[in-house]
Amino acid sequence: MKNADEAIGRVLAGLRDAEAPAGMERRILKAVAARSAVPTAVGPRWARRIALAGMIAACLFIAITVIHRNGHPPTQARQRVVAHPSTGLAATEHEASLLPNQSIAPIGKLARTTAPTRKVQLISIADAVLLSEMRAPSHPAPEAPLTNEERLLLRAVHLGDPQVMAMLNPEVRARQEAESEAEFQRFIEQSGKGDPE
Amino acid sequence: MESIPGGSLVLFWAEKAESEVDLAALVESYSRLLFRVAYSILRSRTETEDVVQEVFVRVIERRRSLQAIRDIRVWLVRIVWNLALDRRRRIRPEQMDESFAETLAESGVPVDERLTQAQRMNSVLREIERLPKRERHVLLLSAIEELGTAEMAAVMGRSESAVRALLFRARTRLRARLATRGGEQ
Repeated sequence: MKNADEAIGRVLAGLRDAEAPAGMERRILKAVAARSAVPTAVGPRWARRIALAGMIAACLFIAITVIHRNGHPPTQARQRVVAHPSTGLAATEHEASLLPNQSIAPIGKLARTTAPTRKVQLISIADAVLLSEMRAPSHPAPEAPLTNEERLLLRAVHLGDPQVMAMLNPEVRARQEAESEAEFQRFIEQSGKGDPE
Repeated sequence: MESIPGGSLVLFWAEKAESEVDLAALVESYSRLLFRVAYSILRSRTETEDVVQEVFVRVIERRRSLQAIRDIRVWLVRIVWNLALDRRRRIRPEQMDESFAETLAESGVPVDERLTQAQRMNSVLREIERLPKRERHVLLLSAIEELGTAEMAAVMGRSESAVRALLFRARTRLRARLATRGGEQ
């Protein structure tokens, strides 16, 4: 029991007597001076508030300017928002190609719009590219080759009519067309001779 | 009223604020105490110095509210204590000073006796680490003899009677465990 107390006391004394490394105070002062030299950390509070208020005012000014410009009659690029009569949801349509610095509203916002009148929307360039890609006409996939079942079905349905088969031959078809045209001419001539007037 | 050039306005205010806190005096007065408090938890000299440095950075950051602090010493100890506890969660046990136990052994004894004592000190440190958190904290704070019970209570955010009870329980538990370990060995 006594040994345990002695050991505990010695450990606690060792912790109590721990020596700070040499030069620690100088290093601390140097490091703190370096940290406090950062301008954002040392400015008075009211000065920082004024700077913050200035930045907010500048942001507001820019936002108002952008809104004011977009409020003018549309020129080259415009998003028209029309309400879909059946669903009540809004749809957009491009009236012209988009300029790089113009922007249109995101799709999610457009879908919530129900105003049937024209409205200029703001969309980022990335959204505009996505929108145009989404609206691009889709290319039909090439026809797949017939399966064995489809070929058997075709063979069963096809009658194999010799006249039809002959029509598939271009020479025979040209001869038949020439004959029918000659027959038509003959009929016209005969009907012209038979006319009393 | 003195005229200040516009470009040096920020610098002027920074210097004025700096003069409100005599940082060098604070560092000289308290850095060693703060080092010991943090070292009792971290047992790593480099980590402890980092933590003490962080304390004085906080002093500079809150220099405007320093006047409202009643006892700057307890306030600093409390900051270093919390920072050290936070740092202790992030460091690995192998980062701690393993030679600390060897320094606790007596110097004028044979090598084998010295080794035995170092092992004994190591087992005490391990048992301290195994104590319940609050008991361990109050035991480590009690090692700092400059801190009375009231100051320890202020640092830990508990009442003085609670601190006394925790300290009693910590010592009893530690003693019992060490006795058990001694019996096993």
